Amino acid sequence: MAAQSSASVATLESRATQARLSRWRFRNRRWVGWLFIFPWVIGFLIFDVSALVLNFYLSLTSFTVGARAPQWVGLANYERVFVQDKLAGVSFMNTVYYVGLSVPLGMAVAFTLALLLNAEIRGRGVFRTIYYLPSLVPVAAASIIWLFIFRTRNGLLNLFLGLFGINPVPWLARPEWAKPALVLMSLWFFGQQMVIYLAGLQGIPTELYEAADIDGADALQKLLRITIPLMTPMLFFNLVMGIIGSFQVFTAAFLMTGGGPMNATLFYMLHLYNNAFRYFLMGYSSALAVVLFVVILALTLFVNKTSGRWVYYGGT
Amino acid sequence: MRSRLLTRRSFLRGGAAAVSAALVAACQPAAPAVEKVVTEVAPAEPTPRPVTERITVEWMNWWGGHREVLMNNIIAVFEEEFPHIHVENQVQPWDAREQRAATAIASATPPGLLMVTRTEAQKFAHEGLIIPIDDYIASRGHDVYDIFLKSEIDAMKFVDKFWSYPLPGNFLDSTFFLYNKNLMRESGLDPDTPPVTWQDVDVAMQAMTTFEGGMLETLGLTGFLGRFPMWNYCNNGQYYSDDARQLLFNQPEGVETLEWIASLLEMAGGIEVHNAFLEGLDAQKADYPFYTDTLGMFAPNVSIFGHFQTHAPEMYADTNRWGVVLVPYNGNNPNAKPTGISGLIFTWHQVVGAVLPADVRDAAYEWLEFFTMREEGGGYFLLEQGRPSPVRRFNENPRYYETNPYWEQMLTIMEYDIGVPTTPVQLEVADALSRQLEQVWFGRKEPKEALDDAYDEAQPIVDAFWGES
Repeated sequence: MAAQSSASVATLESRATQARLSRWRFRNRRWVGWLFIFPWVIGFLIFDVSALVLNFYLSLTSFTVGARAPQWVGLANYERVFVQDKLAGVSFMNTVYYVGLSVPLGMAVAFTLALLLNAEIRGRGVFRTIYYLPSLVPVAAASIIWLFIFRTRNGLLNLFLGLFGINPVPWLARPEWAKPALVLMSLWFFGQQMVIYLAGLQGIPTELYEAADIDGADALQKLLRITIPLMTPMLFFNLVMGIIGSFQVFTAAFLMTGGGPMNATLFYMLHLYNNAFRYFLMGYSSALAVVLFVVILALTLFVNKTSGRWVYYGGT
Repeated sequence: MRSRLLTRRSFLRGGAAAVSAALVAACQPAAPAVEKVVTEVAPAEPTPRPVTERITVEWMNWWGGHREVLMNNIIAVFEEEFPHIHVENQVQPWDAREQRAATAIASATPPGLLMVTRTEAQKFAHEGLIIPIDDYIASRGHDVYDIFLKSEIDAMKFVDKFWSYPLPGNFLDSTFFLYNKNLMRESGLDPDTPPVTWQDVDVAMQAMTTFEGGMLETLGLTGFLGRFPMWNYCNNGQYYSDDARQLLFNQPEGVETLEWIASLLEMAGGIEVHNAFLEGLDAQKADYPFYTDTLGMFAPNVSIFGHFQTHAPEMYADTNRWGVVLVPYNGNNPNAKPTGISGLIFTWHQVVGAVLPADVRDAAYEWLEFFTMREEGGGYFLLEQGRPSPVRRFNENPRYYETNPYWEQMLTIMEYDIGVPTTPVQLEVADALSRQLEQVWFGRKEPKEALDDAYDEAQPIVDAFWGES
């Protein structure tokens, strides 16, 4: 009798547990989320995480193309990056220069144009499309276009400067001008950022501007006190993406200058590429890649850390 | 009734199992490139049709455009003669060529035949990824030095083994110059006595180079900047020692050569003015200065005659407007003579992967031999492009004489080419040298200092290679 009773109690408890579990499952169907991201997670594990781990391992070897197993060399490749390979330092500084100029300039141009294209003007949609179009052009194709623009003789840019009596500038032939030229070219791709800013601008409540008008604020005050603070999440996003993208600048230099003249446009990724696919020094290239990864990660974390001081998410 | 819900855990477990199975399946080695075909038999024959194995040779190359048609024509002829072999012409885009070549040859299923540069072939040979063709040469009894120009077949050799036959050949890339008779006349020079020595070049350069507004209006000579190794040989200098272990470009001959090149650059107004004159232009465009009588001399690629005929047909047809001359040498050096170098880096090789099944390798070699050594193969391929062949006898084809007014002269010039030994680290060596040469072009270093610095950077790379070999 007692045994029967305890069995029925257990059954009841079990049913209660099942019922609770069902309710929990019903309410917290988190596995549905997992279901949706499952393909991405698998891709991430196979193509990103495993590649990252393998890359780190290869950076500690003298691996090259071939059937021979990678030979363990410890930190020798890193020593070469930081001590022996002068071009690694040159290419890193070139890249820092490029990032330092192209990221803020790109953000400023995109933000300014977004402000203009947010104004109530006729044909606004057409202008938005026109300004966005360049960012749809592949970098390789844009590089060919810009080669014509940068030509010393009869290049479009020099013809334009000639209108003001300025002598032709050897944009890609002189070491001092080659990097600024590529920075200038990078501004061509402002469209992606511009669209993000435009979306942000349209999300700013008009009541804020109306209140500012009542208080007698002028356009500059409205820009500085309302628009820019409310746009900081977009500025933050574009800053992070800009830093990550600019550190990996490659195609334009690869196609237009090959890293010259005098290594002026030898960017870090180009140097990495040369070591990997021209010299087949895969182990050393992996070390270069790890260093770049660490630099980008550190910068991203730094920017993220400072974001609490200048990014305004509203209500917090 | 208990409903059995799919839990997150079981879902993930199932998914992981499925993915693992897919991965294992994907990692299985592919079946050998063997294609089964049914041989046609007479309809009245009652016996079952025999099944034969047809071997597919995947041929990975970078020759698109009009050359693809030529290749397919040759493949059709080849397959008629070798019905058991099917050649799959896999023309690849030039973009990311190095990655494609490296990953293809390093994979478990490389193509039957892969087109790579000389440096890549040496690297892949060094890593054991490709096979030498010496056994095939021996079994067929070929005397390759009798068949091919010496400079060309020498470029196929690495550590005393042959890794390919040459095609299309990079000889003549630096052995001859085209000169513009119109510009010579206008500059007060005799168009029938083109420069033979460096000293003649100096005179011609001075006479034919003119400026307007700080920019070049006409230029006497170009092609001197990127060809330091060749000019060095024209001064009896050397790039490597004969065993390719010692770099020699910084010897006195090299320094003298570089000083002479720097003086030419000065005559051309310096690096920026010189480069601005030629920016965006090449001999494959109708507005190339040579075709418009504003460039006196240039060292063309071996494929120039086809391009010349296409882009400036009227000029090409008029031998009163242009001529061909052997590369000038240093007349002040009694040991110097005209010398051209067969590609240090970009001599194309067609290589056979080491991990391929034996029958595929044999078939790949069969195709390689047909495509390079047979008249209806490589002979036809180059003749149609107006390019000389590395195979001596193909160059005797009367059509060459019909289409090229200077063909007789070209046959003589070809004999001045030499093959220079190199190593798999040649690109690193060449890049180190180029960086230092740039220092001279921009006036940052004197020739001797630059060459010594290049040597100091490059020789350890060569030493390291031989040290680990």
